[in-house]
Amino acid sequence: MNKRILVWLPILCATILVFGCSSEKAPETTEQPTATATAPAGTPVDQATVGTITGKITFTGAKPKLATIKMDQDPVCVGKHSSPVHVEDGDVSANGTLPNVFVYIKEGADKYAWPTPSDAVTLDQDGCMYKPHVLGVQVDQTLHIVSSDATTHNIHPQPKDNREWNESQAPGAAALDKKFARAEVMIPVKCNQHPWMKAYVGVVKNPLFAVTGADGTFTIKGVPPGDYTIEAWTATGGAQGQTQEQKVTVGAKEAKTVDFGFKG
Amino acid sequence: MPDAPEKDPVVSRSLAGYFVVAALFLVITLGWSLYDEFYGLRPWKAYERRFASLYTSLLKKKIPEQQKAEKAIEDSAEYKALQKEFKDEQEAVAPKLKQIHEQTAAIDAKIEAVLGTLTNERARVGSMIYVAEHTAEGPGRKSLEHNLDEYKKGPFVLAGPPYNGKSFTFEEMESEFSNLQTTKGELQQQEGDLLKPQGDASKKLQAYLHDHLTGLTSDQLQGLLNKAETMSIEIQQINIPDAGIVDRCESCHVGIREPVLLTRNDMGGVRDHMSAAFTSHPDMELLQIHDPEKFGCTPCHNGNGMQVDSVEMGHGEYEHWLWPLYHKANLQSGCQQCHASDMVVDHAPELTNGKQLFQWRGCVGCHRFSGYDSEPEDLVANQNQIMQLTAQHDDDLRNAQRDIDSGDHAADNESARKFYTDADALKVSASQISIQLDQLETKAKYLMMGRKKVGPDLKEARVKIRPEWIPVWLKNPHAFRPTTKMPRFRLDDEDIQDISAYLWQTALNTSLTHQAPGDPVKGKESFETRGCMGCHSVGEGSNQVGGWFAANLTRVGEKDNYDFLVRWIHNPRERTRPYCPFEKRDITDEDYNKHGLPPYTFDLNHTKCPNDGHEMVVEQMTVMPNLRLSWDEARDIASYLETLKRPGATYAAAPFMNDSKLKEVGRKKIQFYGCAGCHEIEGMEDEGRIGTELTAEGSKPLEQIDFALFVGEAKKEDWYSHKGFFERKLAKPEMFDQGMIKTEAEELRMPDFFEPAGSKTTEGMADVAPEAKQQISQLATFLMGSVTSEIPPRFWYLPADQRRDAQEGWWLVKKYNCEGCHQFKVGQNSVLMDIPRYQTPEWKDQLPPKLLTEGARVNPEWLLKFLSNPAMSETDTDRDGVRPYLKTRMPTFYFSPIELRKLVRFFQALSQQPMPYVPPRLDPLAPKELDMARALFNSRAAPCLKCHATGDATHDKFATAPNFLLAHDRLKPDWTKHWILDPAMISPGTAMPSGLFKKAGDGHNIFAGPTPPIFEGYTGDQADLLVRYMFEITPDEQRRLTGLSAASMKKTSNEAGAKPKTQSILIGMLVKAH
Repeated sequence: MNKRILVWLPILCATILVFGCSSEKAPETTEQPTATATAPAGTPVDQATVGTITGKITFTGAKPKLATIKMDQDPVCVGKHSSPVHVEDGDVSANGTLPNVFVYIKEGADKYAWPTPSDAVTLDQDGCMYKPHVLGVQVDQTLHIVSSDATTHNIHPQPKDNREWNESQAPGAAALDKKFARAEVMIPVKCNQHPWMKAYVGVVKNPLFAVTGADGTFTIKGVPPGDYTIEAWTATGGAQGQTQEQKVTVGAKEAKTVDFGFKG
Repeated sequence: MPDAPEKDPVVSRSLAGYFVVAALFLVITLGWSLYDEFYGLRPWKAYERRFASLYTSLLKKKIPEQQKAEKAIEDSAEYKALQKEFKDEQEAVAPKLKQIHEQTAAIDAKIEAVLGTLTNERARVGSMIYVAEHTAEGPGRKSLEHNLDEYKKGPFVLAGPPYNGKSFTFEEMESEFSNLQTTKGELQQQEGDLLKPQGDASKKLQAYLHDHLTGLTSDQLQGLLNKAETMSIEIQQINIPDAGIVDRCESCHVGIREPVLLTRNDMGGVRDHMSAAFTSHPDMELLQIHDPEKFGCTPCHNGNGMQVDSVEMGHGEYEHWLWPLYHKANLQSGCQQCHASDMVVDHAPELTNGKQLFQWRGCVGCHRFSGYDSEPEDLVANQNQIMQLTAQHDDDLRNAQRDIDSGDHAADNESARKFYTDADALKVSASQISIQLDQLETKAKYLMMGRKKVGPDLKEARVKIRPEWIPVWLKNPHAFRPTTKMPRFRLDDEDIQDISAYLWQTALNTSLTHQAPGDPVKGKESFETRGCMGCHSVGEGSNQVGGWFAANLTRVGEKDNYDFLVRWIHNPRERTRPYCPFEKRDITDEDYNKHGLPPYTFDLNHTKCPNDGHEMVVEQMTVMPNLRLSWDEARDIASYLETLKRPGATYAAAPFMNDSKLKEVGRKKIQFYGCAGCHEIEGMEDEGRIGTELTAEGSKPLEQIDFALFVGEAKKEDWYSHKGFFERKLAKPEMFDQGMIKTEAEELRMPDFFEPAGSKTTEGMADVAPEAKQQISQLATFLMGSVTSEIPPRFWYLPADQRRDAQEGWWLVKKYNCEGCHQFKVGQNSVLMDIPRYQTPEWKDQLPPKLLTEGARVNPEWLLKFLSNPAMSETDTDRDGVRPYLKTRMPTFYFSPIELRKLVRFFQALSQQPMPYVPPRLDPLAPKELDMARALFNSRAAPCLKCHATGDATHDKFATAPNFLLAHDRLKPDWTKHWILDPAMISPGTAMPSGLFKKAGDGHNIFAGPTPPIFEGYTGDQADLLVRYMFEITPDEQRRLTGLSAASMKKTSNEAGAKPKTQSILIGMLVKAH
């Protein structure tokens, strides 16, 4: 009799344990909310009253000397360029303006509802360079990563606040669709196989951002009336880049100009 | 009549008599109780007194003898010379020493004089500094500092000689003192230097006496005598509180630890009943390992250590003590409780044999015993671990995903980063678990490789054995093969028919490749020289030659099918069909066809089931290794074995084998007897053990042991003990059925491992042959010691260091019978070493290598490769990778990687070599050194290549040592140097000569023979040079060497008038000639 109990007792205990555990764990698996579909909180933007912010980024001081990129380690990269390629960071246009400056509304826009855009931002790898060099996406917006090169790349963002990842993309492989869950300016992106490849992704909570073109100007459209802090970021000047901010008040349908001047 | 007054008893009767008697009685009682108090209940007092007197007189006798011996030594010329040396040294330095002593005395006087003043002044100055330091900056402090400086100027006058009023400043006094100290130090140094030769001489003198005198010196004996004469009579006790040990054994066994060897004759002779207690412990070395102060006596010997009332009680030989002293024959039982994890216990050969018998006889087939046959249990544990870790792995991944989601939605970056970090940690943990899981999956495969059965696979019975033989064997295996481990199951004819029918009808019914006949004469030679006899024997009784580990093959020709035998000899691990433990059935060709795969062929690399990918059993579960013989040689040996039969042996036909009606009954009977514990049997692959677990059988209370109807008899005849039961049960288990009313199914199932020599029984013990009696005693020793230990685990021998590797390795050495061919310890002869053939000098060179220092000799990485593939080649396997010149062949054991690791570690541990091994960097040879080494290698006096193989077939025919090309990967340079300096020290009896080198004056080793001229002026160590060269030899270099060698020998042979045709033939001839 005793022996029988000895046999059954552990089995009973084990059964209790197994069921106990599994019933505890059951809800864990179900609670994986997907936040993408939920409507963002905040005041909806009245498209009838929105204004614009434009501006120019100028640069004074000695123009940094740009290094030439040596792509010898991958013939595919070399083959795609007929002239020498220079490093993009630190580039100053002939007219003394800065291209590739990321300008965005840093503070003041959070009270509005900013739905996640359904269209994706594309990042191309072409001639072993990231194109564009500087880009912005909204939080949870799809970053569509494609490669136009006949060589394998790996896309390796190194964020501080977001999750780090590093994925390989073989020639002809399907595009990678990635999202960043948290606002972060800027996330540097590299390719470990082509160490010169660099891109910067600015992740912000609203669509109120722009990147300066070769003429050093930018335009931010659809700005609802209000007081804002606007920030400009450039990779020029140090490894971390540098930033400047300004206060700006935008009235209904107003077109404001905000210029920034960086020094070398 | 007037009434006479009644007599007053007080007046008329005296009670004095009663009182006297009573008083006397009381006095006697008092005397008795006093006697008992001081003597009766303290018998040990008599022992101690007697010992003291015997020991004193023995020592008194010994001291003059020893003095005489010392005198003889002191009178010897050598001693006198040493003594003179000592005296000379003493005298030589005496004047100088005297001078130093005088100088030292003078310095001491000065120091004393200086110190007399200095000590006080130092204190004064110190206090002044203290006051100044603690005064704030300012004029006050300035004046204090000024005062201090002024004070230091003194003058201080040193009174008394040798200064006699000379005055000093404080600084001068300090420097005077420090100079004196330095001078004194120098003098002491000089004195030490002077005394050193004298001290050395004195040490030599003592060492000479010590080396030439047996036993203790007379002074030491005198010390013992003084102690014995003043010995106080009191309880001698060892107390180890945390182990609960209080052992007073030494109250009677007084001399057990004395440094003088005490025999019974010395201590009163055999007629004195006390003398037995006074002898020395028979194994002093054992006492050094197990210091009685730490271990006590009873943990090893049993008995009631606290009792001193009587011999019986002290020895625990009474009803109320459960653990009486181990019987003399089973003394080594005491080792087992701490050494349960050891397969080999030094100093305990009986126990070690018992442990091995338990395995070899197949006791483990029916009785679980912790540590034995552990693979199946490890497999279950492994499987559980896999399940547990898989669940944990999935949990980790789930939780990681949850953390990522939480991070994505965290309120601030700080907490998001924390969530992401946690997620990363969980992912890393999951990946680690995945890797661990891979390891466990592989381990499962490896455990299956290591799983062996005691008996042969009976699924192959039909292709292996002739049907008529099976019932004869089952009737009584001992009748067919007296030394077999297969026991007799007391089966009646009906049982035999049922069991045979099941085995026959369920066995694989297929035919093996037909084999052409071989040459039995060549086969006999192969059988006797390839190493088969390390395990197998041929011939019965006194004609038996060979090992005991595997079957005696004297009548194998009567039972085995030739085709099977050929396949078995070619590779015993080959299996006709794989078994899938998952599907619980043999996998057939159809299973392979179904998946479009070619039919199964025996291959150890393809072990996955075609149906579901599970690991299958693809090997025969035998420990017999593969000797890598050619098919021709296998046929020759099988043909020889087929000739081994009794002339005219006949077997009755066995038509019942195919009677399908018997099969079902047979199945039940096979399960009843637990045959599947030792054999693979169709449909019973998962049968459990049928017997009780014996891990702690020795501490099972006697009342729980089934003496059946023999309790009274056993008590009367004094065998109501564990020993008595174990021995009788092993000798004749069915005796405990005697007189019992039982059905057949209730009768004891334990079979007869030994055959009674006659019908006689002595005190219930069946009469068995002396060898059987010995085995029974060894098994009983093992079982008696197998107890639930009551002493703390710190006493158990469970080393955590390298000794554990040694411990684990011995299990494998015994499992695969490595000792059949190899010697591991001096004194342990391999089976082959004792076989008549190997007694001649030529055949001695054919013995497998001794493994006395294997761990120090070989690089463990190389050893791993060698053990997994002793051919050292994937394609050319019909050879020995290291010693192609040996006829015996290191076989392939298909060790599992678990076993390989254990074995490699085992050898390293036996030689105390650190693991992992980092090879030392050897200096590359300079060009001149290279030329020297080449010259040395070919030197007439060191003809290395005469014996060492070179890979040239003609030359290697006569080689008796390994190829130098192996040295770099195989050997350790340190060992190699020791080896070439004195190989006989490492491996007594080796063919490699000692004395190749001698010590030069500067301590370097130089070549003992005449060296080539190029050696002139070389100051390095020539043994080192040779070792460095050996580790540099490349195939090219070797070709160059053999070329050189041939050339240098060519000269010799031309002188001798030989006409060489080719170089290699020439080498061969020359080697032969040498």
